Amino acid sequence: MTAIEDLGRLGIFIGRSIRSTTRNPIPVARTLEEAYKIGIRSLPILLIISAFMGSNLALQGYSAFKPLGGQGLLGMFVALAGVRELAPIMVAAMVAAKAGTEMASQLAVMRIREQIDALEVMAVDPYWYLVTPRFLGIVLVLPALTVTSVATLVLSSYLVAVYQLGLPAGDFIELVTHTTTGKDLAVCALKSVFFGSFICTISCYCGYNSESGPSGVGSATNKAVVVSAVSCAIVNYFISEVMYG
Amino acid sequence: MTLPAEVPTDNAIIRLEHVSKRFGDLVVLDDVSMAFERGKTTAIIGPSGTGKSVLLKHIVGLIQPDSGHLWIGDTDMANANEQARFAVRKRFGMCFQDGALFDSLTVGENVCFPLVHHTRMTEAQRRERAQEKLTLVELPAVYDRPTSGLSGGQRKRVGIARAIVMEPEVVLFDEPNSGLDPLTSDTVDQLIGRMKAALGITFIVITHDIVQAIAIADRIGMLYKGKLVEYLPTEQFVRSKKPEVRAFLRRNIELPTDEDEPPTRRHVGAIGAT
Repeated sequence: MTAIEDLGRLGIFIGRSIRSTTRNPIPVARTLEEAYKIGIRSLPILLIISAFMGSNLALQGYSAFKPLGGQGLLGMFVALAGVRELAPIMVAAMVAAKAGTEMASQLAVMRIREQIDALEVMAVDPYWYLVTPRFLGIVLVLPALTVTSVATLVLSSYLVAVYQLGLPAGDFIELVTHTTTGKDLAVCALKSVFFGSFICTISCYCGYNSESGPSGVGSATNKAVVVSAVSCAIVNYFISEVMYG
Repeated sequence: MTLPAEVPTDNAIIRLEHVSKRFGDLVVLDDVSMAFERGKTTAIIGPSGTGKSVLLKHIVGLIQPDSGHLWIGDTDMANANEQARFAVRKRFGMCFQDGALFDSLTVGENVCFPLVHHTRMTEAQRRERAQEKLTLVELPAVYDRPTSGLSGGQRKRVGIARAIVMEPEVVLFDEPNSGLDPLTSDTVDQLIGRMKAALGITFIVITHDIVQAIAIADRIGMLYKGKLVEYLPTEQFVRSKKPEVRAFLRRNIELPTDEDEPPTRRHVGAIGAT
């Protein structure tokens, strides 16, 4: 299949998903279930990665600024690099790798076991039943995960900066709070909504249109995570360009 | 639009008129015209890859034909919009090859699934209806069990219970005996026979198992290379002179040699005994 055919099919998939979502009642219970699954299952690994990402950021920033005598600016560095850029894309990559692959593989298995056909034959809209709750769930929960990641990242940077590197706590906090504005947090949330939309749409599309057989499931899962990650990186650049460029 | 002379159009619940379908260069259905009688069991047989499952998917509107019409009542599934197709499907039940049960749900939740989405029944009413159908398929004690612990035959029977839980007009079976041992296959055949007597439903069975087709069907059609080469009442079908039919039958059962010999269930029985 060519890339153009694939794009066309993705367009049809998105169109049908939007139509099914808008024409049917919102599946509240299933949406909350998906949000809970994505949020709770991703939280432990998110906290660990964010904590170590923050501490690394502090170490690297310190070693870069110290020769210039600017180690006091570490709080600003953490706010600019960590809050604005690193946390949202890191959360997206992690959710794509965990929740996205799960979505793709679940739907691919359902496709090859004829469970999606069974939904259609039972007159239950498969886009509404399978895609809508996953989409709403991820869009609901990803901003919350991103904010949690930001908080963890800043906290771990603070701990390393103050207790390991010996920087004044007041300076660090002042620079972080001064540099991080409400707009930054809003952009973080906006990015995460976009990332969630892309991850869910791409992963569900790959699973829904999986080729038959076990290799089809593997291929759909692999494609889902690769395309999601690349798409998020590209979208991240454009949002940053529009908001901060 | 004319149909082959042997096709019954009186009391037809589903009619195919010159339906053709191809995937790329491969012609899967080639000008197929036939009608399915209300309240009867029709079996469609044929070698693997000859278009049987594609025909079934056309009937339920999962696949649209390239040309031709597929009438279900007054609805042409070939040209119907999604809303009309969904409305028609509520009158259907379908049993897939491996049951197509949802792994994340229990047996009871699987059987109740159509009731949850299409009725206003209370949970107790749904449970009662599902339990009734599970009892009919001889699985009265599995309601709360996860589907992962079911055997192949049990999965198939739960799939049948789900297919009939809405008490549909038509139930379609896609290879109901595939992957089953002879004894379990026989149980499924008997089950279909009992349901036909008890529920008066129209059954359409896709199978490559001629023994099963003869045992359960009132009428048998044979698809070969995308064409409907024969479509006759069972007793006449087994005496068909069409070479494709003879070749297919010869591979599977001992054919009657005497023209006056009664229908072939005896031969099917003989096969079962060997």
